[in-house]
Amino acid sequence: MSKPEIIKIALYIGLSIIGLIYIFPFIWMVLSSFKLNKDVLAIPIKILPPVWNFKSYYNAFHYSDYDFPRYFLNNFIVTIFAVLLCLFLSTTAGYGFAKYKFKGNNILFTIVLSTIMIPFQAIIIPLFVLVRKLGMQNSYLGLIIPEGLTAFGVFLMRQFFYSIPDEIIESARIDGANEWCIFWRISLPMAKTAVLALTILHAQWVWNLLIWPLVVISSPEMRTLPQAIALFTGVYFTPYPEQLAISVCACLPTLVLFFFLSKNFVQGITLTGLKK
Amino acid sequence: MRKAHYYDRLQRWGYVFILPTVILFSIFLIFPMIDSFRLSLFKWNLVGTKIFVGFENFSKLFKDKRFWNSYLVTLHFTFLSVIILMFISFWLSLALTSRLIRFKSVFQSMIFLPVVLAMVAIAVVWRFMFQTTGLLSILFLDVFGLNIPWLSSTKVAPYAVILVNVWKYTGYYMVMFIAGLLEVPEVYYEAARIDGAGFWGRLIYITLPSLKNTLILIFVSCVIFSFGTFALQYVMTEGGPSRSTEVLALLIYKEAFEYTKFGYAAAISVIFFITLLIFSIIQVKIFKSRTVY
Repeated sequence: MSKPEIIKIALYIGLSIIGLIYIFPFIWMVLSSFKLNKDVLAIPIKILPPVWNFKSYYNAFHYSDYDFPRYFLNNFIVTIFAVLLCLFLSTTAGYGFAKYKFKGNNILFTIVLSTIMIPFQAIIIPLFVLVRKLGMQNSYLGLIIPEGLTAFGVFLMRQFFYSIPDEIIESARIDGANEWCIFWRISLPMAKTAVLALTILHAQWVWNLLIWPLVVISSPEMRTLPQAIALFTGVYFTPYPEQLAISVCACLPTLVLFFFLSKNFVQGITLTGLKK
Repeated sequence: MRKAHYYDRLQRWGYVFILPTVILFSIFLIFPMIDSFRLSLFKWNLVGTKIFVGFENFSKLFKDKRFWNSYLVTLHFTFLSVIILMFISFWLSLALTSRLIRFKSVFQSMIFLPVVLAMVAIAVVWRFMFQTTGLLSILFLDVFGLNIPWLSSTKVAPYAVILVNVWKYTGYYMVMFIAGLLEVPEVYYEAARIDGAGFWGRLIYITLPSLKNTLILIFVSCVIFSFGTFALQYVMTEGGPSRSTEVLALLIYKEAFEYTKFGYAAAISVIFFITLLIFSIIQVKIFKSRTVY
């Protein structure tokens, strides 16, 4: 056998093993959610459920003190509106910074961009104090506004709008279109790929975020999904298959997104590398 | 002249476009950032009156073993996560851009899968696999004869958490590396091949220098991400056993919302922030001074 052929076979074997290692915990999670409580941690290991138990999924959604249908709804509401806010702010500001030469453009952009360096964890205390003072504790608004702000989005959209030629905007002006109209009808449609990529990345982040809901939400009916799962699985008498069933459900929306839009997922991450 | 004047006035529309962002960012990001410095000077339990104590929180902090433990735990977690993640994702990206193999997107999707899953769900699953009779423990016992107390030993738990973190984010950085690798012009490699450069020669003289920007970006985002880790520890270990996985974000959360020491927690946030600030200043200095090509 020639050398490239050996390398080729080694690559296939290596990548297959690594690939399987990476997907195995998820497969185990799905299979175990269909096991009986006693089979999840049984010795010897049972990979496949000896008895298929579908009740765990029903049970997980019918706890008296954990209203998971409501938590799903909360999570959807917060994710949708936080993403819309993020898109609105990122596209308008990105466009403003990219296409207008006004006084203070560079300084303001630098200030906005520098917030990329402020991790959420570093400001939860003062942010919580502020949100509480504004009366937004235990409200959707208190979740949506802080989770809708991302300097990365502004940066991404600015880079994208740079690549749109000024001539297009100029000619629209000559045709008498106003500035908002140019943005909304001409520039924004051209940025479709960036908008879609930002949507996916941000939706995934908001959907899975734990720390902020944990801080700002204390009333049970306002809990978000990750928060409720953390609480639900932290209680030692919760049956194992139920814990896993609800975890599987929490992963489904982003998995579906990934399944249909994996190209855009990857594109979103790739666009991160668009550094000037 | 008139046209130039009209054109200048048009540019002010920029303010309209950036206004919502500037206002919201100022209120909800920049103001809290500054406010955390102010809060760190008070003793406060959120409901009572604020008592001004000056730098007492900080002097207490520097003598607090629990804080230093968290600081070191976080540095350890960040350091190892960054090194291992960058190493593995780099080699995988090389393998997945090799012209020798097919089905690249299948392998890529498999490795990327954990990125998409919710961190909370991941922590739940791995907590099960790390149990004494869990899958991973039994596997190591049967195959290697090793009885590893994954989450119950202070020696092992920090590494178990790093393992899960690496598993979760490899795909993310791998995709970034692949994007960087695909940007390298093929002619560079052709030229190197003609000059007789082998695999290592090409790697060191072409691939790595061309990837400089990608490497910096991955390094910086990896450090910031890892330094702020929270959900993994909160769900999987709650900082235990004996605080061996109590990272800074978790400590901030506990000091504020379990012990209601808001001033003290704000002081930890300030140190947290300053650490990242110093890191980014150093990073900018180092990489700016070496813009060779």
